Amino acid sequence: MRCDFCGYEFTEEEAVRGCGNCPVGAECKMMKCPRCNYEIPLEPQWLKKVKKLFAKE
Amino acid sequence: MSLFRRKSSCHAGPAEAPCGAKKVALVGNPNVGKSVLFNALTGSYVTVSNYPGTSVEIARGTAEIGGEKFEIIDTPGMYSLLPITEEEKVARRILLEDPPDVVVHVVDARNLERMLAMTIQLLEAELPVILVLNIMDEAERLGIAIDTRLLAERLGIPVLGAAVGRKRGLAEIRAAINGFRKNPPAVPGYNGWLENDIKEIAGLLGNGSALSPRAVALLLLQRDQEITDLVRQAEGERFAAVEAKIGEKTYVRRGSFHLDLSLERRKVAERLLQGVFKAPDRRKATLGDRLSRLAVRPLTGVPLLIAVLYFGLYQFVGVFGAGTLVDFLEGTLFEEYFNPWVEGLVRGVIPWPVVQELFVGEYGVITLGLRYAVGIILPIVATFFLFFSMLEDSGYFPRLALLVDRLFKMIGLSGRAVIPMVLGFGCDTMATMVTRTLETVRERIIATLLLALAIPCSAQLGVIMALLSQAPGALLIWFLSLLFVFLLIGLLAARVIPGELPMFYMELPPLRLPQLSNILTKTYSRMQWYLLEILPLFILASVLLWFGKVTYLFDKMIAWAEPAMAAVGLPREAAVAFIFGFFRRDYGAAGLYDLQTQGLLDARQLTVAAVTLTLFLPCIAQFLIIKKERGLRVALAIGIFVSLFAFGSGYLLNRLLAATGVL
Repeated sequence: MRCDFCGYEFTEEEAVRGCGNCPVGAECKMMKCPRCNYEIPLEPQWLKKVKKLFAKE
Repeated sequence: MSLFRRKSSCHAGPAEAPCGAKKVALVGNPNVGKSVLFNALTGSYVTVSNYPGTSVEIARGTAEIGGEKFEIIDTPGMYSLLPITEEEKVARRILLEDPPDVVVHVVDARNLERMLAMTIQLLEAELPVILVLNIMDEAERLGIAIDTRLLAERLGIPVLGAAVGRKRGLAEIRAAINGFRKNPPAVPGYNGWLENDIKEIAGLLGNGSALSPRAVALLLLQRDQEITDLVRQAEGERFAAVEAKIGEKTYVRRGSFHLDLSLERRKVAERLLQGVFKAPDRRKATLGDRLSRLAVRPLTGVPLLIAVLYFGLYQFVGVFGAGTLVDFLEGTLFEEYFNPWVEGLVRGVIPWPVVQELFVGEYGVITLGLRYAVGIILPIVATFFLFFSMLEDSGYFPRLALLVDRLFKMIGLSGRAVIPMVLGFGCDTMATMVTRTLETVRERIIATLLLALAIPCSAQLGVIMALLSQAPGALLIWFLSLLFVFLLIGLLAARVIPGELPMFYMELPPLRLPQLSNILTKTYSRMQWYLLEILPLFILASVLLWFGKVTYLFDKMIAWAEPAMAAVGLPREAAVAFIFGFFRRDYGAAGLYDLQTQGLLDARQLTVAAVTLTLFLPCIAQFLIIKKERGLRVALAIGIFVSLFAFGSGYLLNRLLAATGVL
């Protein structure tokens, strides 16, 4: 995915690593850009599944 | 041998090259086709493992080129030899600790000027570089012509055009790797003072690094901690002299070294590409490019920002979201249909008046909590997040950061602080957490204070805009009051709080037309997160208020707050909005909305209440995050200061408006 602030491209896995010290923890639906720390909302799981479904077709 | 280098060893992995095989590292920005080139060179014989001590994955494979075995390493994406992310650190460590025999720098031919800065750094480091201009097919389609021979001549290294996704240029890349002979590269020079600084520091360094003394000197001047530690270890007692020289140089250039170096590298890249890179004129004049330039120049950027705020925030969020939509949802659906129906139902089913009050009373969970959350806050945050996502997806925010950088520097911040400030308009609590990413402690404290004081959250902003737009001039007074406070407190804080001046420079991603699917997805995700967070809190607040009401504690709190309300010229009922506001900022704004619809506030009182409430104490969640991020002492100091300052400002504004008769 691409950071909406600085344009850096990264994976969700990379972004989650930056959240280690955050008190909100797993409840948070945001990801942080590993480069500039801008917060980006996480795409809902159901939407990912729908996209995947259409992508396969 | 090199003091930075790790002892090489031979592992017996299936995909690893035999002992003595030459190492080839593929380096470059993310998304330039490194992995495609890696797969094309190595085929299926690949191992993927974490780099020691990190969770960063590195792919290694073997390739047989011209009868000789090579070990190919696909490094993580990096923008510069000065790393920021863990991936960039690992990529650099690969070059430092186990220096490859060939470094293939893969760049996107379309953005050659921007990416050439890293080639310059690799040459400065005296690494054995081959430059691959990938995605040439796309570049040619855009009308870009690149003279690779002339560039190779100027850089003193092999330069190859390729489109590895289409297998174009692969044979040439293989031949260049196989026949690579390291010649002295043409290391480009910088301006006088920078060259002088580099020479003075490089002259103090030994020759133990995998990178040249020139590259190490530049990294030391950029305060690279990892390199500083390695040089300290390598130089031993001699490091004191190096450290003193770096301290002297960085003190002199403290304000702008990164920016100056970045501009110098850009100049060098421009010089190198003269007559090499030819792009059609129309490329320079796209609408996106023109808008981008207009957005960052103060003369055009400020009017553009005002237009964005007027149409986006005022018209769309304030008038449409907080006006039309709230009128319909709260005024019609809740007040006329849902609340009377649910009141009848609850009073019919539950016989005890005290329990009835809990659900459908003045501060009932349904009649107040649910109404505030769904009837008032939901349409406002929905329109706000829609507007926010549109701006975000267009790439406007980094341009805003550049536009306000100079102004922010006056108040001890840098353009980077735009990130928490912009996020604060969504939710101040989350934004307070983001302040930890600011460069200096001083900047973090100033940003935390300004977020607590002068940045209203989305729902608060929407309600206030809807309320004040009904009184001519009130919205302007509210906006000017907050702007004045923001600048005044920022200027004072920058003078009172000691610390270093932050610096800021960033690469601008392209400005683009926002995509509807992105906007809708982001709006949906943010609203889901917001509602999941606020609904339980609104319900909890309603229960606490109900408890306060049945025990008469709430009446007592209102009575205690009465003198403060009177001092700022507000009726005693306004205390309710302030008590609500401590639970959540948006809850307080919704309370103000109720007072206005009951006709309890005139235009002046409404303006004073809106200014005081916006400046008032951060909500409980934000207070707890301030405590966590900055410590209890700073949190208490900010809390007390903000409360006193809010009422002090309300008092002065009320006096000023009464004396001038403006409202």
